[in-house]
Amino acid sequence: MSAPLRNRVVVVGRDAALWLSANVIRAALGASGVTVIAVELPGQLTDADVHATLPPLEALHNQLRIDEAALLRTLGGAFTLGQNFVEAGKAGTAFLHAYGGYGTAIDGRDFFAYWLKARGLGLPVGLEDFSLTAAAARQGRLLIPDDETEKYGRSDYGYHLPAAAYARNLKRLAGDDGITIHQTDAIEVVRGDAGVAAIAFDGQRIEGDLFVDATGDGLLIDALGGARESWKSSFPADRVLVGSAPPFAAIPAYAEIRSHAQGWTGLYPSQAQTHVVQAFASGLCSDEEAYRAAAETAGLALRDATVRRLDPGMRADAWVRNVVAIGQSAAAFDPLHNVDLLAVQSGLIQLLAFYPIASDCCAERAEYNRQMRATYARLRDFQALHYRINTYGGAFWAQARQTGISAELAHRIALFQSRGEIAAYEEESFAPDSWRAFLVGHGLVPDSYLPVIDRTPPEEIKTQFRHMLGFVKEQVLRQPTHDAYLQSIARRGHG
Amino acid sequence: MKADRYNPVRVVIVGGGTAGWMTAAGLARLLAPADYDLILIESDEIGTVGVGEATLPHIKTFNELLGIDEAQFMRDTKATFKLGIEFVGWDQPGQSYIHPFGTFGEPWAGVDFQHHWTRAMLAGKDVGPLFDYSYAVQAAARAAFEFPNEDPKSIRSTYSYAYHFDAGLYANFLRGWAIARGVTRIEGKIVDVRRDGGSGDVDRLTLESGAVVEGDVFIDCSGFRSLLLGQTMGVAWNEWSKWLPCDRAMAMPCARTEPLVSYTRATAQRGGWTWRIGLQHRTGNGMVFSSAFCSEDEARETLIGAVDGAPIGEPRLLRFQAGRRAKGWEGNVIGIGLAGGFLEPLESTSIFLIQAAVVDLANLMPTRGGIDRRLADEFNRLYEVHYDRTRDFLVLHYCANRRTGEPLWDHVRNMRLPDSLAHKIALFEACAAAPDYKYGLFSRDSWLAVLIGQGVVPRGYNRLADRLPADELSTRLRDLRRRIRANVDAMTDHAGFVAAYCPAPVPDTPLESAA
Repeated sequence: MSAPLRNRVVVVGRDAALWLSANVIRAALGASGVTVIAVELPGQLTDADVHATLPPLEALHNQLRIDEAALLRTLGGAFTLGQNFVEAGKAGTAFLHAYGGYGTAIDGRDFFAYWLKARGLGLPVGLEDFSLTAAAARQGRLLIPDDETEKYGRSDYGYHLPAAAYARNLKRLAGDDGITIHQTDAIEVVRGDAGVAAIAFDGQRIEGDLFVDATGDGLLIDALGGARESWKSSFPADRVLVGSAPPFAAIPAYAEIRSHAQGWTGLYPSQAQTHVVQAFASGLCSDEEAYRAAAETAGLALRDATVRRLDPGMRADAWVRNVVAIGQSAAAFDPLHNVDLLAVQSGLIQLLAFYPIASDCCAERAEYNRQMRATYARLRDFQALHYRINTYGGAFWAQARQTGISAELAHRIALFQSRGEIAAYEEESFAPDSWRAFLVGHGLVPDSYLPVIDRTPPEEIKTQFRHMLGFVKEQVLRQPTHDAYLQSIARRGHG
Repeated sequence: MKADRYNPVRVVIVGGGTAGWMTAAGLARLLAPADYDLILIESDEIGTVGVGEATLPHIKTFNELLGIDEAQFMRDTKATFKLGIEFVGWDQPGQSYIHPFGTFGEPWAGVDFQHHWTRAMLAGKDVGPLFDYSYAVQAAARAAFEFPNEDPKSIRSTYSYAYHFDAGLYANFLRGWAIARGVTRIEGKIVDVRRDGGSGDVDRLTLESGAVVEGDVFIDCSGFRSLLLGQTMGVAWNEWSKWLPCDRAMAMPCARTEPLVSYTRATAQRGGWTWRIGLQHRTGNGMVFSSAFCSEDEARETLIGAVDGAPIGEPRLLRFQAGRRAKGWEGNVIGIGLAGGFLEPLESTSIFLIQAAVVDLANLMPTRGGIDRRLADEFNRLYEVHYDRTRDFLVLHYCANRRTGEPLWDHVRNMRLPDSLAHKIALFEACAAAPDYKYGLFSRDSWLAVLIGQGVVPRGYNRLADRLPADELSTRLRDLRRRIRANVDAMTDHAGFVAAYCPAPVPDTPLESAA
């Protein structure tokens, strides 16, 4: 072995990014003799903040042995099967981005092309009527996958987790797992030959071989320099307001994103409250106006509102010398689609794949940076899509239509408009069905569909469509309502 | 654009070799006959190159798509089975390895196998070569064959297979298949290509007979000439001889020799390399060489020395250059096969690249509405992915060698690599991570085979592998090797399997070969 192993990892940061990093690295590399030390800075979350998580988080929780029922019970969290996008006050504009597949393959080919063809011939049935997940969400039910539904298609889900409580929960897990935890209000970064030598605070000095920057502001990685790419020109919002509203009587199994002249208002139900998020542009709307717009659009009384600045963008290299930036320190995202934790997760999974075995880890670092750049850029593209192709009224949305987009996104939109297909890139986090939900939802009609489906007789397609719609109806009726399921989780906790 | 809303789109395929007839057959199967008229122009006077007699497992998908009966097809093309390629002397003389159509080991504790193997190897354990952990390698090494087991839990399910066949007979086979399904074959030589004055698209071809063929979409399968894509549309050629300096091949079949092995052999030689492909009735042989480092006489001598059966005819010379067109689709012209690009037959990729282009084209085929730039953009993006990744994989076979003192091999060892490849090698050396694409060639296991086979040794591994206790790792490695050996020992030999499953009529049928 040419160089010593890097066995002492110091994770510096706050909130979920800090605690996910510490727990994941400890769980995965503890057996390799890796020690994790956590340095916690003051959290930035209020009780109104929420993580509306995407389906992959469940697998990460499994690796950390986090019990789903216990987590939701402790946090008062809820399930979510997707997000409903609607222009406030306009009937007929709603479409659901469901966390599951739409339709099932015919003759081994994607459902979507058949639907496109049928719609061209006058089929009056919407895309989401073929989605188990979307249909369940609309009916306030969950969709617990089994063999039959798996054969039909993917039925995934995420959670609405009160963010501050989630971070506390993860911190407890870290403590239970033997991770040393330090708390401090501020840190000093001590430079050394390898990059960062130590973190100093309150007269203490914590040395390490590898440092994870989960501070959100890039406190560690900034000390080493390196360029940052701004994505401001791709996103119309530069402010986000977060507030809390009373819970719904029956808790919806999805989030709702309502667009209006001042931006968009997101409603994310959990058991104890409805988390409200308002994205807006300071040039078009004051904080005060944003607050009123959010309350009015939500139709709920808002409290505990805070406003934060948005500065979307990413570092050219998330890993510099011996510092790896995870979460916002690496890439800061627009609040749309709530990709933050997914980005944390991707950053950690890749770090584990290339965790340095030696100090001269140039190749691993280069590969990590290459993959993460592409992963973050594709996440950004997925967010930018909704803004770019929106059909909503108001100055905010007119501005959104003018935003700059990447060559990859431009090509994807063009190919969809031409043929209804989604160009496949290696480092993509969202399924083609997610992309199509927005493209179709905003009314883009492709000029053609895959010609190879014309070998399937139209009668066959009709029969299959009838079967699918029947199957969706029948399966969804068998599912528990979201409320009933949450209650059963609560009861299990007392039993 | 002449296509209108009521008439079928006229698709004209120029050239009738392997590329032309695979394209014709694939499109005839995939597209609705009411919407597309498929026309293929070929000339009996123009010979075809007959690319490759060895294939990749993907060809099974293509044949299944066409609904071709495997045993029948194998009898007709005098085919044998192929479990991989043996590379002899590529790292250094006296050494060899097999690149299998199969996996290495199995993932344990969620970590790919090579990391476990590397961990044990670096710890000084007696793990043996990585190749001991590939079922396909061990089966090929014993000249054995059986169909893979369909139970994914069985060690016998961890491989796939391809074929060695007579490419000329395969083109004949597809010609009959395609014509029976409505493809119009026109015999004749093209003497003039006309482009529309406005769009610049090709709109008609004139044949020597004076006959005129009009079309909406033209597929150039004219081989190295690249009559439409290169000559007419003027699409530039990106040449890669700075990485792949071989530019000549000499082919000379010989009589069948025993044993009938279930793999292709590629043997490194001073000025290039020789191939050996065992079919049922004969063995295909040839030498690929670089004219900068090896004369034709030396190549001929090397080839004749390498042939292990009675020669059939005289060595036949081919000239080529490695590279691809800047675009595979320009205007209304799409190049498939050698008209679009050429990579030497080292990894039997020619037929795969044709197949990939046919499937992509079927999905992106223009409709009656006319040519759509956006579809061409996607085709070109995929075309680049296929060619460029295949190129990196081929270059790896050359650059990682220890044949010092031989000018060709010294040259390729010291040349400046494509950045994408240099990075892949450095990454593997550092931490045993091999490329793992979601789309396109080659698979992670293929990269592993050639990286390890060419003597690239990792000095680190994914540390998640440490979650497996060291003694459990040793036990698992031992068990896996034992399981593979026991199963391979029970396999049928390849020659016997072929004789029972798909014997070609003996003696040779008078079926003419187009090659």
